[in-house]
Amino acid sequence: MEKESIFLVVKDAIADVLPDVDTEAVSIEQNLKSLGANSIDRTEIVMSSMEKLGIKLPLVSFGGVENIEDMVDVMVDAYR
Amino acid sequence: MQPVGIEMLNVFGGSAYLDVDQLASHRGLDKTRFDNLLMKEKSVALPYEDPVSLGVNAAKPIIDALSDSEKDRIEMLITCTESSFDFGKSMSSYMHDYLGLNRNCRLFEIKSACYSGTTGLQMGINFVLSQVSPGAKALVIATDISRFLVAEGGGVLSEGWSFAEPSSGAGAAAMLVSDRPYVFQIDVGANGYYGFEVMDTCRPVADSEAGDSDLSLLSYLDCLEQSFTEYQKRVPGADYLESFSYLAFHTPFGGMIKGAHRTMMRKMRKAKPDIIEVDFEERVFPGLVYCQRVGNIMGATTALSLASTIENGTFDTPRRIGCFSYGSGCCSEFFSGVVTLESQQHIRDFGITEKLNQRYQLSMDEYDALIEKSATVRFGTRNVTLDTTFISEARESVNMPRLFLKEIKEYHRLYEWVQ
Repeated sequence: MEKESIFLVVKDAIADVLPDVDTEAVSIEQNLKSLGANSIDRTEIVMSSMEKLGIKLPLVSFGGVENIEDMVDVMVDAYR
Repeated sequence: MQPVGIEMLNVFGGSAYLDVDQLASHRGLDKTRFDNLLMKEKSVALPYEDPVSLGVNAAKPIIDALSDSEKDRIEMLITCTESSFDFGKSMSSYMHDYLGLNRNCRLFEIKSACYSGTTGLQMGINFVLSQVSPGAKALVIATDISRFLVAEGGGVLSEGWSFAEPSSGAGAAAMLVSDRPYVFQIDVGANGYYGFEVMDTCRPVADSEAGDSDLSLLSYLDCLEQSFTEYQKRVPGADYLESFSYLAFHTPFGGMIKGAHRTMMRKMRKAKPDIIEVDFEERVFPGLVYCQRVGNIMGATTALSLASTIENGTFDTPRRIGCFSYGSGCCSEFFSGVVTLESQQHIRDFGITEKLNQRYQLSMDEYDALIEKSATVRFGTRNVTLDTTFISEARESVNMPRLFLKEIKEYHRLYEWVQ
């Protein structure tokens, strides 16, 4: 799946977990902390994205991610 | 198969505590949604409290409740900790002395981050089940403190770590393991374990720790799912919702457990949010009560949550409790056992809640002074006499005889009983 499509799914997940965030204004370079997500929220966003995408990866695969793009890249790799 | 499990379980949550909301304000932490973390209080070790004194204070009421002949059947004393002050000498040797146990007893110490208490419990259970010494008992003491500041400098391993301070507590849990499981009868063979190498949180230097809290949360969740899945393989028909009246989790902080439980309910049962919320209150919250008051006491936290569940649950008929233990690094285990009304009475006899209520509340000034003062007993201290006048109200707080560190003399720790 294309990176852009996965980013759209992640934005959907962000909207589910952080209803107050305007996801239209979210850019891929941003990190989730700057959107007000605590560690539990960030994990929820990862899990919800994977569920929507139908992919299964150990959560620790997302251990080093620093921004949304890093997270998307891990999911893109899962499709290869 | 012969019964095995916990004959007696007691918790000692220290002599002083701090309001974590005040601490978060004091440290200038971002308090947006702080309430969601479900933290309330944390126990703080005084300079004259260490893992030995806390452990002995947890175990002493158990020993006092035994007859001499029963006491003499304790043939193994396992200390479970990540806070030891000596790489060679086991803290079990000190505890054995101050508890006055039989010398025909194995004394040793084990480490596996927050999984240590469960490791010790399982070793005790297997010792009893092996029947190499019929009727023998094992005393398992999980004890940990967090008397330190975050390792300075560094990148990933310290980011977001500031929340470790409000969540880290001090305390101990003592479990007498035998073939008379009055408090918690183990489901023998019902164990799902899961471990792998991950660098999430650790204590790589003597008086401090480092961690990547995000990675630790991710690893915890992976382990919960995998260890429960393994448990299901060994216990055909086991169901996350139906099989357990209560769930006792290793609890770094309450909000994390709420998230973990929500994830499991979604994955295992495709449960909706309102159902999950009610289920959390019913099956998980009883185990959170003590954890919210003591904080994360690492190796002893799973036992703390189990004690809290037994104290605060309803046991008009025997009930099964599912337990999940996770230790960074990492290793984890999902196991279970059965609790009765009699078990609850045994726990209540120790008056754990009353003793937590009697702890001295530290002001922020006292807490800051305490951190500074704790440097006098840092790792490797060769000689020191502890200042008994320091926050002396805490020495008079909890209404029971307590052991305190009195002096370190050529590295040898000397303790005293205070009424």
